[in-house]
Formats: sequence, structure tokens, C-alpha cells
Amino acid sequence: MNTKRLFIVFGAIATIMISWAAASAAGLSNQTIGEVTQAAVATGAPQDFNALAMNGLMNFMSMTGFANLTLPNFVMICVGLLFIFLAIKFDYEPLLLIPIGAGVIIGNIPFVAGNQIGIYEEGSVLSYLYFGVEKGIYPPLIFLGIGAMTDFTSLIANPKLMLLGAAAQVGVFLTFIGAISLGFDLSEAAAIGIIGGADGPTAIFLSSKSAPHLLGAIAIAAYSYMALVPVIQPPIMRLMTTPEERKIRMKPPRTVTKTEKILFPLVGLILTTFISPSALPLLGMLFFGNLLKESGHTERLANTARTSMIDIITILLGVTVGASTQASVFITTDSLKIFALGAVAFAIATFSGLAFAKMMNLFLKGDNKINPLIGAAGVSAVPDSARVVQQEGLKADSNNHLLMHAMAPNVAGVIGSAVAAGILISFLSYFQQVGGM
Amino acid sequence: MEDQVTQFGLTEGLVITLVGVGLVFFTLTLLFLLFISFTYLVPIVMEKINKPKQIVIKKDDEEMLINATKVSGEVNAAIAAAVYHYMAEAHDEESTILTIQKVKKAYSPWSSKIYSVHGSQLNR
Repeated sequence: MNTKRLFIVFGAIATIMISWAAASAAGLSNQTIGEVTQAAVATGAPQDFNALAMNGLMNFMSMTGFANLTLPNFVMICVGLLFIFLAIKFDYEPLLLIPIGAGVIIGNIPFVAGNQIGIYEEGSVLSYLYFGVEKGIYPPLIFLGIGAMTDFTSLIANPKLMLLGAAAQVGVFLTFIGAISLGFDLSEAAAIGIIGGADGPTAIFLSSKSAPHLLGAIAIAAYSYMALVPVIQPPIMRLMTTPEERKIRMKPPRTVTKTEKILFPLVGLILTTFISPSALPLLGMLFFGNLLKESGHTERLANTARTSMIDIITILLGVTVGASTQASVFITTDSLKIFALGAVAFAIATFSGLAFAKMMNLFLKGDNKINPLIGAAGVSAVPDSARVVQQEGLKADSNNHLLMHAMAPNVAGVIGSAVAAGILISFLSYFQQVGGM
Repeated sequence: MEDQVTQFGLTEGLVITLVGVGLVFFTLTLLFLLFISFTYLVPIVMEKINKPKQIVIKKDDEEMLINATKVSGEVNAAIAAAVYHYMAEAHDEESTILTIQKVKKAYSPWSSKIYSVHGSQLNR
């Protein structure tokens, strides 16, 4: 089943890429029907009624999407349709892929530039909606909702699992190096590396700050790989663990008092943002959202944050990120490299999480041992990777439920990737200063 | 901005990577240590905070206490009966009323009962 899915997904991507490459190699004329008709309209001077009507019609024709269609637009519309297909047929993150897919189609409907239509045209409606992405406004709001949704109980009960969330961030930094060696500069590489954190909002936040021109590709890559968690992670998990290890049962987490639950966001907020203030918008909102949830007195606010508000932001973010992939900006070799690096980033993050979990087991004894599978949940795709861990655990032992345990590294991964983003931002600004001197 | 950053290559990348990984681990380790200590500290602190304080009866309270003793016997009996019932019969009998909630569904020929009843006969 999984191999079939993998085949469909990558087969479709490959087909699109090959057709795109073939078409551009064939040297198709870049002039669209629209340009031809427009040129014809410009030369003919309107005189009588018939000529006027004819010219008006020609002008209208030149404005239609059919007249202005270019191959890249067509390819991107197919990509949008593919996303919607994947979301509906295979249930891959439908809440994200459907808005993004629709956005990709919206962003690639061909039009005559200069009428304030496109997302990159100043003053257009889409550009105002895109403002939230461009300036990094949406991601912190999403984090507020995530905070109000997330239950940190399992993490508080077993704080050592926090380290697994840190281990998975190794993927971010290794990809960062990989991107540099592929020819990206530091700020671009940082934005690409964060895909390994498997955290869409963080990736958008960082790339809007450091590499706005790559934002579309990075966001699409981050969200597609998040959707592909159930495909990418299991083979690595099976490769890295023995059947005995997968059967390890973890002792149930202790009960956590309300005081601890309230203290966690407060302590977490103060501590992490003191260390990495650049991640303040993300971490501040995350812990604030969680405080709303746990305080017990702001249920209304928490409820809005985790339902209506995050939904609204998801819709806006999805559509505008999708629309930002306007073919003229998006179809480049850089995008291809980003997609490749993103997959590597994701694999390394999973790999390092698993490896670190195995290493932790060397020091733990008896029933304190952890099931190394939960290391894979250190990537912050909440709650998908935790769900994958649960499924893999059940495959090894049908009575071993790992979901609760896997949620701990999963939410730690969210904190970890936001901290990593903050660290990258501060380093980039340092190198900018040094470069400026 | 990017032109300035481009001057830096792999070495700087390595530095950022090593320091970055270190810092991420440092941050989460700190959180880990804090919460490990919390598991021991919070119960102790909470016990101290929640320690029953010595009750000092103020003058106002005294009056209230006197007023409280003036409650009629009927009220006392009612309270006692309620407490007795609560202590003795708590959850002895569960409500046996079953409520079947009707789920409203829009009619669709695809889920129509009549089709499943007649089955293939309708197709003929």
C-alpha cells in the first residue's frame, strides 16, 4: 500500500518535471497567444463599429487565461491538482494540501500583468493577504493555536524525552551544511535546513526573514514532506531498530498536577526566549496559547485560538503560500534542489532522533528504558509522526500503545525547531554585521 | 543583504551547525533539568503552601458562628439526610434510562433503506 502511494506521489512529480524539462528543451516559443493578439490590436487603428467590436473582442481574448497560458503555468496547475488529489484520495494533511493546492491553481491562472491581479503585484488583494506570510505574521498565530491545542502532560511526566526533540534538530543543521555545499548562501541555507524540523510555520517564519525569494518552494516542500511523514518515516524506523527494541514497553506516565501544567508554559516561555530571543514570536505565542489552555480560567480564549482562529489562519496561509508559487518565480532549479534537500533533511532528522533514543537506552535501566521508535517523533510534525510511531509500535506488538509517549518528543520537537530557528536567525544577523564591516 | 552573507562559506556553516546543535541541546536540557527538579520540588512546595493555617477567630466570625447555631432543626435534618444519602448510597443505583439520540441525515438515494431492502429487485 505504502509503496503504491510512494510510487504515485513521486511518479506524478517526476512526470511533471520530465514534461516540463522536455518542453523547455524543445525550445517552445515563449510568446503566448495573448501577446500575439495584443500586438495585432495595437497595430490596427479602430475606425468603424465593426472594427471597434472586433478589436474589443480581440483585446478581451488577449486578456483571457487561454491566451496567456504558458507551459510553466500549466505545469503548476497540474501540481495544484495533484495536491488536491493526494489530499482527497489518500487523506494526506487535507487541511493543508487542499488550501495549498487551490492556492497553486489560483496563483497560476495566467493573466496580463499590471492590473493588480497577481500576488506579486503591489496593491492586489492577494498581495495584501500574502503580507501575513511575507512579514511572518501568520506563523506565530498558528503557533498560538498549536499551543492552545497541545497537551504537554506526557512531556512534563517524562522530561528526559525533551532531549529527543533536540536530537531531531540535528537534521536541520546537517541540511544547512548540505545546502551551503550545493551553492546556496548562508541565509538561504538556513531557511532550507529548517525544513528538517518538519514544522511548516517555523519554516515559513524563517524563510520570510532570511530568504523571502525561496519562501514558496520552502513552504511547499515543508508541507508536502509533513504530509508524507507516513511514507518517509516507517522505512527508516525499521532500518534503525531491531524487532526486540520495537517491542519495548514503556511504563505509563505519572499523573501531572495542575500546578505543573501551569508552570510549564511559564517556565518554558521565560527560559527558551531568554536563550533565543529571535524565536520570541514563535515560542512566545506557543507558550501563551498553552497557558490559555492550562490556566483553566480562559477556556473561551483557548477555544477560539485552537478552533476558529487557527482555522482562519490556516486557510489564509495555505491559499497564499500556494498562490505564491507563481510559475515564473517558482519553477527554477533552486526549487528542485530545495525539494531534494528537504527530503534529505527529513530523513536525517528521523534518523538522528532514532539514533539518540538508542543511545539514551544505553544509560537507562529496567523499565525506564524507552522504545527507540519514539525518537522518530522528535521531528515536530504534530501529531503525524507520533501517530506513525503508534502504528509502527502496534505492528511489532499489537498491545503496545506508544502514542502518549511519542507525543512528548513530538511537542519537544516543536520547541526545539523554534529554538533552532531563533539560533539560525541570530547567527545570520551576526554574519551580516561582520560582512557589513 | 545576501551579497554580504555570500562571502561566508562552509567553515561558517560548520561553526553555526556545531554551536547551533549545542545550543538546541543546551536549551532543552535546561528545560529537562528544571522539570526533573520540579517533579521533586513541586510536591514539597505545594505541601508547605497548602498547610492548614491556624484558625484565628475574629470578632465578625464569632458573630457569624453564633448566628450559624441558630439554624432550625428542620434545616439541620435536611442537611444530615442529604449527607447520609450521599455517603451511603453514592453510585449504588445507576440510572437505567437509555437515551437513543436520533441522528439527522440528509436523504440520499445512496443510503436509502428502501434500496437495501429491495436490493437487486429494483434493478430489474
